[in-house]
Amino acid sequence: MDFALNSDQQAVLEAVGTLLSRHAGPARLQQLGGDEPDYDHDLEKRLLEAGFLDLATTRSTCRLDAALVLEAVSGALGSCAAGWRLLVAPTLDTDLPGPVALVPDGRRGPVRFAADADAIVVIGSPVRLVRPDRSIARVRSRLGWPVGEVRELPAGGDLDGVDPAEVRTWARTALAVEMVGAMQLALDMTVRHVSDRRQFDRAIGSFQAVQHGLAECSVAVEGARWLALEAAFTGSAAAAAASLTHAVDASRLVFGRVHQYHGAMGFTREYDLHLATMRLLALRSEAEALGSPAAACAAEHWTI
Amino acid sequence: MEFDWAEEDVSYRSELQAFLQDELPGRWEGATAVLGSAENAEYSRRFAGLLADEGWLTPHWPAEWGGTGATPWMLAVLGEELWSRGEPRGPQYMNVNWIGPSIMAHGTAEQCERYLPPIAAGDVIWCQGFSEPEAGTDLASLRTRAVPDGDHYVVNGSKIWTSYGDIADHCYLLVRTDPGAERHHGISVLLMDMDSPGLEVRPIPGMVGEHSFTELFLSDVRVPAANRLGPENEGWAVVREALSFERVGAPRWARAAYVLDETLQWARELGRVIEESTVEAVGRAKAACEAARMLCYRVIDERARDLPPSPHANVARVAMVQAERLTADACAALQGNEIMRYGSSSDLQTRKSLAAGVAAGTYEVQLNLVARRHLGLPKS
Repeated sequence: MDFALNSDQQAVLEAVGTLLSRHAGPARLQQLGGDEPDYDHDLEKRLLEAGFLDLATTRSTCRLDAALVLEAVSGALGSCAAGWRLLVAPTLDTDLPGPVALVPDGRRGPVRFAADADAIVVIGSPVRLVRPDRSIARVRSRLGWPVGEVRELPAGGDLDGVDPAEVRTWARTALAVEMVGAMQLALDMTVRHVSDRRQFDRAIGSFQAVQHGLAECSVAVEGARWLALEAAFTGSAAAAAASLTHAVDASRLVFGRVHQYHGAMGFTREYDLHLATMRLLALRSEAEALGSPAAACAAEHWTI
Repeated sequence: MEFDWAEEDVSYRSELQAFLQDELPGRWEGATAVLGSAENAEYSRRFAGLLADEGWLTPHWPAEWGGTGATPWMLAVLGEELWSRGEPRGPQYMNVNWIGPSIMAHGTAEQCERYLPPIAAGDVIWCQGFSEPEAGTDLASLRTRAVPDGDHYVVNGSKIWTSYGDIADHCYLLVRTDPGAERHHGISVLLMDMDSPGLEVRPIPGMVGEHSFTELFLSDVRVPAANRLGPENEGWAVVREALSFERVGAPRWARAAYVLDETLQWARELGRVIEESTVEAVGRAKAACEAARMLCYRVIDERARDLPPSPHANVARVAMVQAERLTADACAALQGNEIMRYGSSSDLQTRKSLAAGVAAGTYEVQLNLVARRHLGLPKS
């Protein structure tokens, strides 16, 4: 057990932090279309070239470092499929050419990255990796992600030997880590705001009602973070389900409160808060698409 | 960063589990009896003695006082394994975790000789004389007065919400020795014998299982000055340090997780149909227990590195209270009308979850500390 970053992890996070501060962040997302962003091919290319998206290359490599990078990318509102690439791809044992989307078999409708994806991972039995035979239409979505409309997908692309349960496990962990990154950004913005904003001659963050609300958010996000990192370290299905369950619960708490404490400013498009918070809705929907995280958490820990 | 257990911790846990399997076979009733009940406390005299024989009662103490050089992680394993079985050490976990260490840090040679061996042997019960009718969460406003008289203090006042007051041998008592001083000064710690003349103990029946609080009335109780722990009037620093030995406090999450296990087992044995919404409540409670576990581990990691206490301990305490509450909800959902049966796990867990938010510092105070020290929000 060691909760501090080792020197390698520190170096990786510093380097990816530098890259993200130049090529990602709320300003970059606004440039890409704000809450209706384009896919950030440039960011993805830079992350790939620097080797950050291939930190975990095979099934056997520990994916904790990859999770740490994913948290940073998510906290910088990266508009690319870093989660699938960093945490799910190593399980697929196949080369992924470019952007990738992920859907449970049979799921139709809006899916993150589907319009931009070179390949779509279909979680069924068997797991399939399909290349869309015609272009997938973009869906108008304002949740801060590029979204495409998945209809019928071509047959084939079976990935023999890939366990769908394992893919689902890593997809859960990736979603939990992404939620943590976005929630922490929203929380940091809110702590800054309530510390600066004065009403009734005092910082609104000095009111106990606000303090307690944010303290509970912080505890929830911290819990989700350490569970998600542990899940990335162990690769266990039970840990993945627990981390996503906690992240989803945290997101409900955080979403309402951070907007509330920003007052009217929190629901303007020019202020960046919504870029972090609205993303949570998409992540939550993809979390539920994998099967109720809470039910999975119970089922992975006990035979019910 | 990595989350594997060290080899030594794994083997320590399995040795401990084998021992506990023998000593507490099947479902030990004490696990569902409530920490703080007389039954639990009496059993602790036997159980702690056995632990002491194995060297597991005070493994983290210095060798001089019976320790075996256990690391903070081993101590965490010990706490987990025992709390997940209902804490069979009963009140003695306080002895070994902070009362003993506090005596080691501030006690005279005579005090160490007198008080530490019985704690290390597992056959002594202490209570903590902290709260007063007018001093609960605001502990520093305590008013129980101790006046020097020759080589004694004469103590007058009262203490309330004292667990084990009816069965304890000694009391770690906070008194005011200088009423004129600023409130955090002028407090001293006395190690009082519970058979002292002038001490009256009144039980206050509690609603959490069989647990009783007591109220202590002190009328001209004479406590030898030699029983003062640490410098006169500097007791606040002594007690703050004592409580920081524990840092994160009892691993309540481990017991809550055990109650979830047991309640699910109960439902399965009866062949109860578990609805989807109930399954989800169980999953959420489990996730909350797991989150609390990781947040406690972060604090233990800091301790293992010899870092000073941090607000991460307050974060962990908040998470533990939430885990207790969600576990109560999940048990109630699982058990349905069984909650009406006294002693059912949903009945007990609901009651315990009430205590979780109050014992050892209220939930709201923990939130204040998280807000100010962890998030850096401004003071009002």
